[in-house]
Amino acid sequence: MALLAAVIGFPVVQLARASVSQYSITGLYQGSVGARNYVRLAQQEALPAVIANTAVWVAAVVGVTLLLSLGLAQLLDQEFRGRALVRLALIVPWAASLIMTSKLFVWLYDYYFGILNHVLVSVGVLGHPVDWLGDDRTILGAMIVVGVFVSLPFTTYVLLAGLQAIPGDVYEAARVDGASAWRVYRSVTLPLLRPAVLVAVALNVIYVFNSFPIVWTLNDRNPGFGHDTMITYMYKIAFKSALRDVGLAAALGVVNVLLTLAAVLGYLRTVRWREQDV
Amino acid sequence: MSRRRVRPVLLAAALLALGACERSADSGAIKVVIAEYSKDHTAPFWRALAEQYTTQSKVKVDLQVVDWNSIDQQVSTMIQNNQPPDVLNLNSFSSYARDGLLHPADEILSPRTRDDFLDAFARGGTYRGTLYGFPILSSARAFFYNKTLFGRAGIAAPPRTWDDFLRAARQIQALPGGVIGYALPLGPEEAQAEWAIWMWNNGGDWKSGERWTINSDRNVQTLTFLADLANKYRVTQVNPGKTNRTDGAFQLFKDGKVGMVIGFSPLAKQLDAEGKVDYGVTTMPTHVGAPVTLGVEDYLMAFKKKGNQDRVKGFLDLYYQPANITRWILAEGFLPVTKSGLEKMSGDPKLKPYLDALPNAKLAPTTDPAWDKVKLDVQQTIGLAVQPGGNPRQVLDQLQKNAIAAEGGR
Repeated sequence: MALLAAVIGFPVVQLARASVSQYSITGLYQGSVGARNYVRLAQQEALPAVIANTAVWVAAVVGVTLLLSLGLAQLLDQEFRGRALVRLALIVPWAASLIMTSKLFVWLYDYYFGILNHVLVSVGVLGHPVDWLGDDRTILGAMIVVGVFVSLPFTTYVLLAGLQAIPGDVYEAARVDGASAWRVYRSVTLPLLRPAVLVAVALNVIYVFNSFPIVWTLNDRNPGFGHDTMITYMYKIAFKSALRDVGLAAALGVVNVLLTLAAVLGYLRTVRWREQDV
Repeated sequence: MSRRRVRPVLLAAALLALGACERSADSGAIKVVIAEYSKDHTAPFWRALAEQYTTQSKVKVDLQVVDWNSIDQQVSTMIQNNQPPDVLNLNSFSSYARDGLLHPADEILSPRTRDDFLDAFARGGTYRGTLYGFPILSSARAFFYNKTLFGRAGIAAPPRTWDDFLRAARQIQALPGGVIGYALPLGPEEAQAEWAIWMWNNGGDWKSGERWTINSDRNVQTLTFLADLANKYRVTQVNPGKTNRTDGAFQLFKDGKVGMVIGFSPLAKQLDAEGKVDYGVTTMPTHVGAPVTLGVEDYLMAFKKKGNQDRVKGFLDLYYQPANITRWILAEGFLPVTKSGLEKMSGDPKLKPYLDALPNAKLAPTTDPAWDKVKLDVQQTIGLAVQPGGNPRQVLDQLQKNAIAAEGGR
């Protein structure tokens, strides 16, 4: 317990302290500035766009991942030849390093060398290649695809475990009552899967919000902050922009932690409250 | 051994280990942080140098080779935690000098080492009249062109003027097979370098005396020219404001898809190794006056820590022994910073175009601490000016405003 407090508490205290301090560009401590970093953070021109990006990024990745994973888990719950192999294959994107996966997608998306443009143009879906990572209209979508790709394994396995915990006799009872397959899924499977869905969504919100490598790697060619999330923006404030301000970045760090906490607690409360209602 | 007895034994071992650490720190270890220029040469060279130093002086060297992507972050963290390195290698120094963290040269270098520095690089490491940033190595950019594509387009010689350049770019772009006239990387990775070269070859500059001149009329003209290359003449790759150098422009040139690009000696090394592109190296095309190129100087600096002076001095003097510094610079494919090194390397025909360019090379204003912020600002914004609908004057006005603000603030 003391160890836990030290491991979690120490960085939190450090972060909070940094957020009320001023540092030189070299990292030299220059004294306390109270809440000034928070005021300056609120005044940053790029902030609204960054918040909007973050909201879309988290909602889309978590939402799409959940939908696809529900289907995948259902599929993997069936008996079929080669199931073990498919289950194993699904782990691969999870086991690979995020930076490697992101780099791989950078090349897939590349305007000149990428296989995606090559395929889409040669089968006639596209008239001419698209600069997926350089075009303001496509980059967010391109990042979301990668986000979903790497979130699928974990989510699917959580849901699969949930599915396998549902006892067989409930299904038998439903079948005896003459319920259609869709009806069984909606009235039996989904409600019983609820705890698994809950865990999957709560954990995914945290993972996806905090995800740095995907956004950083796919977005590294774009100037400015137009496609950053709050995590990559924090890094740029500290080290990669004219601000070069560790204190200001720490203030955003504190906001990020509080925001994640609030989102997850809020989500769990709403869901539990509804559960009691039923 | 019973469970109960294991713990005290472990504890004793841990204490012993701690004691050992402490003692070695007392007898004097130095922490040396070096940026990784290449996987093959950086760590091996510095490890060998550190061992040599430990053998001859009994001073332990805690060597950390850090990649360029994370070095700013790691050094900043060290200083925040009050654990600065003794010796640091970086591409900037003046902010550290301004914060009073560094030993000046006359406290930490022997006169012989100090006097061997080439004058331009000693100047480039001077903050308010005192030398704090010691040149570790240098590089110079040069103009690369694809001889095969030049031949196919019927262009006899590499371009000397901007008019020649534009004509050549259009002729190459017009060739069948989707080739590109000029690869223009103005994405965040190194936009300030690409921009500076075009700016200087039109007679513009970052500063005039102590005053920033980023938004001068000349510079607006230059940036408008670059935007026109992309959007009016369409002789660049797609989205030049969102293309980085290493995995963008260089990659296209290495693949033979591009007529011209601004490169440096490590690119030549890669091209030679791959043997796929028949290329030439020459001076920059210019709009006003003689061609100018960008020289880059990286630094070694020594942090003030109680009683570390002699230990650091010995280490620096060892690095600057002509045999050592030249061996490393040659291995990495960079250019000399010392008079003795220049003498040794001037016979190498491969290095000739870069060494020839070195006298006319200009450095970025790294002696001004505000530059460390201006550079990042340029990297994050100048690309927006060459995107469709971008506004060169507006972008430069904003950069100028921020540069003046950076001057005042810390």
